[in-house]
Amino acid sequence: MTNPKIITKVNSVMHQGFEIPLEKLTPEATLFTDLGLDSLDAVDMLVHLEENIGIKVDGEKLMSVRTLQDVYTLVDELSSQPGVEAKLEH
Amino acid sequence: MKTKVFVTGMGALSSLGNTVESIFQALLQNQSGIQSFPEWKNYQGLHTHLGAPVPAYDISKIPRSARRTMSRMSEMAVLATLDALNQAQFTLQEKKYSPRIALCLGSTTGSPDSMEAHFKKLFEKGGPEGQLGTTFFKCMSHSVVSNVASALGFYGTAISPSSACATSAQAMIMGWELMQTGLYDIVIAGGADELHYTGAAVFDIVMAASRGYNDRPDLSPRPFDLKRDGLVISEGAAVVVLETEESCKRRKAIPLAEFKGGAYSCDGTHMSQSQKSSMVETIRESLDRTQLSPADIHYVNAHATATLYGDQEEAKAIGEVFGSRTPVSSLKGHFGHSLAACGALEVIACIKMIESQTLIRTRNLVEIDPECASVLHLKEHLSMPVHTVLSNNFAFGGINSSLILSKSS
Repeated sequence: MTNPKIITKVNSVMHQGFEIPLEKLTPEATLFTDLGLDSLDAVDMLVHLEENIGIKVDGEKLMSVRTLQDVYTLVDELSSQPGVEAKLEH
Repeated sequence: MKTKVFVTGMGALSSLGNTVESIFQALLQNQSGIQSFPEWKNYQGLHTHLGAPVPAYDISKIPRSARRTMSRMSEMAVLATLDALNQAQFTLQEKKYSPRIALCLGSTTGSPDSMEAHFKKLFEKGGPEGQLGTTFFKCMSHSVVSNVASALGFYGTAISPSSACATSAQAMIMGWELMQTGLYDIVIAGGADELHYTGAAVFDIVMAASRGYNDRPDLSPRPFDLKRDGLVISEGAAVVVLETEESCKRRKAIPLAEFKGGAYSCDGTHMSQSQKSSMVETIRESLDRTQLSPADIHYVNAHATATLYGDQEEAKAIGEVFGSRTPVSSLKGHFGHSLAACGALEVIACIKMIESQTLIRTRNLVEIDPECASVLHLKEHLSMPVHTVLSNNFAFGGINSSLILSKSS
């Protein structure tokens, strides 16, 4: 079960950064097909996640990300990094 | 026999408005687009606090997937291009290879706003950490033409001329030259730039920006005026659809004016000081190329940005070629200096002047500088028969350009 604060924060990044309607942000939605992103957007998504949540992501991790749930899971795995918890609270 | 070229569409965003009609109405009403930017006082060493921003515009026509790589200059260029194509009643066939159509759009540099953000973060982080993947596409020198092509799905020749203040003038003349080869039917030409304090600083550093009217933006710039003290930087985009006579006939397009032709040169003499002699030669070359004489020109639209040196050199050059009986005005007192956009913006204004048979005055020209007095200045609008006009644009680097438009027969 993913921390709901992570879901809220990731969805906010996807909505504000990529103008994706909130109703389309479901865990099973695929980034490239359902949400209309491409590889250039994926790079920017990482930067937005780093800025908004405070995680440091190895770019190669992107290769295994397919759905929005994969993004939630990736952020969840990295949420013990310093400063992340404080950012999730805001 | 030269290939006849016509303007069949126009689109522009400027400090005076976001449509060609609203811009020309503002010119007729002698309005100013200049504003004070008191916050620029915070930039150490910057003396000019004047600029001319484009009013808020609607970007909803541009999908996010295209907009993500655009700064303001590309957004404005897309909107101007859409307006121009709409007026020309011409639809680009999306992603269909169109080798007889060229997109020729440029800017002075890539986005200064994006470059500042990029380098600020680069220096803060000590490396590229945290840089967005889309930023470079706003900064690259051919950002405008690439973004317009991408937004419209245009697949054909794309060229990005860049010669600062002469950019869009060169784009249009180059478009006319391309059509003389017989290889192109349509060239969509123009330019765009965005307002940023670093652009103002470029001119401020070399003492070419207005700094004495920071609290009275309506009084500056003052082309050809004795009390002028430099240019005011602006922004905008201006695009025209240039089309061969044969293509016009085939498409039943309505010509707005004939683009008679033009000439450009680099005098190789001085980076920042325009030279009267090379201006004269460029004007004469444009007349030669179009087989016209000075007497055929009813009005000269001057580049005149209100710099001390540039205005007097241009006035003397125009006087030498045309004498003192051809009306002359500059529109920089209304718009400010929109850099890469100004050539096409002024061509559009000239076409509207021909259409309305009304010549627009030079704003803020009250007392003519004796050093600029060799021509017939327009201190008021003038209604008169206008058939053929010449427009000048000059740029840092010794760049000169002159082009000629005529009422379409």
